This record gives sequence, C-alpha cells and structure tokens, in this order.
Amino acid sequence: MKTCIACGMPMKKESDFAMGDTSKDYCVYCANSDGTMQSFEEKKQSLINFTIKTQGLDQSVAEKAVENMMRQLPAWKECF
Amino acid sequence: MKTKRQIQKEATRKLILDTAYQVYADEGFAATTNKIAKAANVSHGTIFVHFPTVECLIICLLERFGSEINEHLHILSEKDENLETFLAAHINVLIRYEDFYKRLISEINSLPQEAKYVFINIQSVVSFHLNQVIEREKDKIAIKDIPMHIIFNSWLGLIHYYLTNNYLFTVGSVLTEHKDELILNYIKLIEK
Ligand SMILES: [Zn+2]
Repeated sequence: MKTCIACGMPMKKESDFAMGDTSKDYCVYCANSDGTMQSFEEKKQSLINFTIKTQGLDQSVAEKAVENMMRQLPAWKECF
Repeated sequence: MKTKRQIQKEATRKLILDTAYQVYADEGFAATTNKIAKAANVSHGTIFVHFPTVECLIICLLERFGSEINEHLHILSEKDENLETFLAAHINVLIRYEDFYKRLISEINSLPQEAKYVFINIQSVVSFHLNQVIEREKDKIAIKDIPMHIIFNSWLGLIHYYLTNNYLFTVGSVLTEHKDELILNYIKLIEK
C-alpha cells in the first residue's frame, strides 16, 4: 500500500490521493486546491492546529510531536 | 534485487523487533536487551548492529506499531462507518495488541522523550479518524456541544482506565469483554 510522502497516511482508494490521481505520491489532505503539494510550513501549521484541536495538546508539545513525525517523512527530508 | 545478505539482515531485524514486542508485552519496557537477545536466539551484539541503543529499538518498535494501527484503521474507515463502528474498529485494533498497548500506556511517562512523540502521533491517527466520523455524523446524530479534544480524550481516558485497571473488571481481556458496554455508553454520554 502506498503511503503519503507528506503525512504518512495510507492511500488505497482513489479518493485518498490528491485530485483522485493514484500516480500522485501525496494524499488529498496534503494537496492545495490546485493539486500541488502543500509547503512544509503550511503542512506543519495545519498538523499542529489539528493536533491541538483534536487532542488538546499544549502548543509546544504539539509542535515537537509534529516536527518529530515530519522528520521521518520522505517529502520533508531536506527541511531538517 | 536484494542480495542474500540483505535479505538475511532484514529477517534478523524483523526477528529482533518481533521478539522485543513480545518481551515488552510480557514484562514491560524495563526488560533488558540481553533478555530480548536470548528470546530471539541471537547474540547480544547482534541487537546493537541493528539498533545502536535501546532507545532506537523502542522507537523503531513504536513506529512500526503505529503504522500497523494506521493501516488497520484506514482500511476499516473505507467502509461507510458510523460512530459506533469506528469505536468498535478502534477497540478491535487494540485487542490485537492488547498486552503491548497496556504496557505502553502504563509506562509511557518513563519512556524516552522521542518515544512520547511517537505515541502522540499514534493517537493522532485515531483522533483524525474520530474527528472525521464526528463531522460526518453531525447531521445524523446530535452530538453535545463539547470541544473535539474532550470528545477524543474522554474516549481514550475511558478505554485506558479499563486497560490499566484490567484486574478490576475481569481476569481475561478487558476490551473483549467490555467492548459493547463501553461503546454504547460512551455514545450515550456524548449524544444530546
Ligand atoms: Zn498526506
């Protein structure tokens, strides 16, 4: 199974992929409305906000957890 | 093409991870690498060829565990799931790893900092799915006006309480035996 290079989500059905395009390496949640992949800063911010919203984490903890996760992902290797 | 040597190396790495998983599930994270080496039938040094430190081994194990949960939940979420089926899917995934997960949540505070971040990210996958289900179900069932993180943390708090205090409720698998009760009543709590 393919996993999104930018967030690690498994991608199986067409609707998981950016623009429903299964040749893409990133998922629907990591795409801008024009289909391009979100930037590092955009993705990081949205993941931090999401973690705080759904888990109630302290801002600094959320930041570190998100950075830790992004560091493992192929899309952001050069950002660290 | 992988060489024979590479295949062998990967197999040993997998064996160490599988064994560490079992040893930690049985004894907790204080179990020594010596013990893991013996159980895996490899030399102590072999473990450190693959994992330079115990921290690396634990983090790698947690990452593998996290991606397995991620995959299971993702596959289950493909079906047209509702709140009840999602909560059941979450519990079913945890039942597969119950002993290990129990150790993990009981000992997380004493694990290395990086392991804690991996743990948060494991929970993020669950909160992602729960959030999606809640958003989707909003029109069908009335959910109380509670912030999303309280909805999620209450669910996690409930199942973690039952898991860490397993002995209060049963001698067997607490999740297997109390699954239906927990799901049904949790939904009642958050429903308007
Ligand atoms: Zn993605």
